[in-house]
Amino acid sequence: MADMTIGIDLGTSNSCVSTMKDGKLEVLSNAFGENTTASVVAFHEDGSITVGNAARANIIHDPAHTVSSAKRLMGRYHFSEEARKAQAICAYEITEGANHSVRIRVREEDFSLPEISAMVLREMKQVAEARLNKKVTKAVITVPAYFNDNQRQATKDAGQIAGLEVLRILNEPTAAALAYGFGKGLDQKVAVYDLGGGTFDISILEIGQDIFEVLATCGDTFLGGDDFDDRILDMLADGFVAKEGINPRNDPYAFEKLKVAAEAAKKSLSVDDEVEIRIPDVLVGEDGETRSLEHTITAVAFGTLIQDLVQRTFKVCDEAMQQANVTVRDLDGIILVGGPTRLPIIRDAVTKYFQQEPKADVDPDEVVSIGAAIHAASLVSDTSDAVLLDVTPLDLCIGVAGGLCEPVIECNTPLPIEQSRKFSPFKDHQESVRLKVYQGGSRQAEENELLGQFEFSGFTPGLRSDISIDVSFEINADGIVNVIAKDPESGQEASTKITMSSGLSANEIESIMDRDRTADVQRTGPDAEVASDSMTDDMLIASYGMDNELELVSEDELNELSEDELEGIANEVENDPNAISMTDVADLNDTTLTLAIDDDPDGPAIGKVALKTVSVPPAPVTAPGADVDPDTTMTDYSTGDDGSPDELFDRSDSVNLMGDHNEE
Amino acid sequence: MSKLSRLEIDALSKIIDELNYYELLQVKPTISSRNLKLAYYEISRTHHPDVNSTLDDGAKETYHRISKVMTEAYCVLRDPRKRKSYDEQLASDGGLRIQLAAARAAHAKKDSEKRMGTTPQGKQFLLKAEQDMRRDDTPGAIQNVQMALTFEPNNAQFKELLETLRKPKSE
Repeated sequence: MADMTIGIDLGTSNSCVSTMKDGKLEVLSNAFGENTTASVVAFHEDGSITVGNAARANIIHDPAHTVSSAKRLMGRYHFSEEARKAQAICAYEITEGANHSVRIRVREEDFSLPEISAMVLREMKQVAEARLNKKVTKAVITVPAYFNDNQRQATKDAGQIAGLEVLRILNEPTAAALAYGFGKGLDQKVAVYDLGGGTFDISILEIGQDIFEVLATCGDTFLGGDDFDDRILDMLADGFVAKEGINPRNDPYAFEKLKVAAEAAKKSLSVDDEVEIRIPDVLVGEDGETRSLEHTITAVAFGTLIQDLVQRTFKVCDEAMQQANVTVRDLDGIILVGGPTRLPIIRDAVTKYFQQEPKADVDPDEVVSIGAAIHAASLVSDTSDAVLLDVTPLDLCIGVAGGLCEPVIECNTPLPIEQSRKFSPFKDHQESVRLKVYQGGSRQAEENELLGQFEFSGFTPGLRSDISIDVSFEINADGIVNVIAKDPESGQEASTKITMSSGLSANEIESIMDRDRTADVQRTGPDAEVASDSMTDDMLIASYGMDNELELVSEDELNELSEDELEGIANEVENDPNAISMTDVADLNDTTLTLAIDDDPDGPAIGKVALKTVSVPPAPVTAPGADVDPDTTMTDYSTGDDGSPDELFDRSDSVNLMGDHNEE
Repeated sequence: MSKLSRLEIDALSKIIDELNYYELLQVKPTISSRNLKLAYYEISRTHHPDVNSTLDDGAKETYHRISKVMTEAYCVLRDPRKRKSYDEQLASDGGLRIQLAAARAAHAKKDSEKRMGTTPQGKQFLLKAEQDMRRDDTPGAIQNVQMALTFEPNNAQFKELLETLRKPKSE
């Protein structure tokens, strides 16, 4: 019998878990009988942690130690717009971790975002285990379709930390379509309008019996129900300022009360035409008098308040339909996903836009986790009942001269896919080539998300037309990106996962898991944290010789080491494969490339992977027919006397990109 | 739906580099877009990675490579413009696989060539016509486009331009 599997919808505000047992689908409710659990983690003074609706209740009393909407920060850099915004509105402290990652500081301890999400996932796992009375390890976890590689990787890491084997990272709208069409033998085109707490996705799918093909997906990861709350909150706060002359935004407790009231008001407006907001004792004024807040909001006024946000979703829908080459007339069904789609304002607007009523028999809060559960069961069974043909939501691009980027794999390309490109140095006699990989729809590199940087060197410098490096770009069915470089001479492959530099290394994940195992759910002291941090700061180089041996040293040490010492390290690493887990080297064999991750002392590099040939004596590279457009060649590089590459050309661009963020 | 056997995977992996996209998807080169989609759906039932997720690791890796080429084949053949580029490449023995970006770029280049002219004379007269148009000299422009057409009588873009120029201005 196949293993027990679950599907988890890890939401910005709420999460939901389901399972498929003997072909029967079930949403698994928590101990309180609720089908959804708040994605909120509360850190108590005694060191204990609560997750879920009880934790949400804690926000008002203890906002600084209660973490909510963490999904908004998943896979984001500390310098990102989203992190800045969170810093402004969140009562908990946001700090910067290694490689510009976001950390959340609670009770003097720093947590990465995957760790916070892992607490929510572990809670969902426990909900499932309690309900099923069985241990559960295998899960499909859903993400917004528009999530980039960094965000997907962070989610996968969170699953791993939570002790789950993540069978697949699945797109939320695709999961919803699966739940809607599974086992019905439909031949339809449908649109999934997925408005979550923090993100908006639209996917157009074609369902052909048991095949679910995503024709196009578009989205906005900066638009969701939370933004509706913010509009109400602003209205309440401004009203309060006008009346009392005190800004409640300056009082964290008052601010949280307003936030909670705003969300409650929004929910009431799903059923009522008018809602009266009353918060007694919002705050105590300087005169020592307590003030209360009273405000009435009608559905019509609310509609006006969020009209522009709603219209923004339809712009995204226009784009998706254009890319899918369909019109509203071609669509046989509209599926609504996400709590905010319960709002009559949204339903009406959607009906008007698509010229048809959305499907009424789909529960917007549960449909995603049900779809995930169907897929999870299918992935472990020998016979599959449905096949998902999904796409990549964003262009995968490479940085080219002049701060521009060029797509290698365009958005809405079916997965899994691999494409390759040849690269040559920008000018003659250049000793290394740097490759920056981005995801996003802009031609301007810096407007896109930087996934990682790669550096190729070790070839014998010569005429640029003589040197050609073959690089393959792969996006797997999870939507996760792999970059594979081929040695120009041997043609052997060296693959490395683009390590999401602001996220966690496999090493760190291991150490977090070890710590969690010893301390169970209870938090431990800062020791484990320190250990993992020092790991990140270390510059790691794992190199493979011809004899398949593997070495791990810091970059500074590398040049200084003798052959014997290298040998020693190789043995050491062989005994402890985890030591090189910062890069995924499982696929590496018999290659002559060195993989390295380091911290650029100048700041701009956020974890780059360097590939250098080391064990083969460099020989002139001949690459017949290497036809490379100079515009597509890489950032120029020259080599300093110390042998370390010193970027000359395009430096300003790269410094600007990261430098600006550093200052902010 | 059932997964592939280890034998089938190994066999496919041996010949995959010798198959063109049509052969890989087991369709005729004349297949319509609609039927191509249905054929791809059919083949996905046995060939998609999800269906083969319970393979052992070695087979999975081999299989992964096959599935990526299949996706690529579908990607090229379902897009009429990419498919045209690919067909031309096949006809000229230019290889059995084409990079998506190359298929797109080849087409874009051809478009711009057509627009700009493919012969030196055609290009030159088109340039002259464009200068005339900037001066609002429509009769001059018509004359130059006609000249360009004598060198490239089948250039649809030139013909279209001529027709536009001959149309009386509406305002």
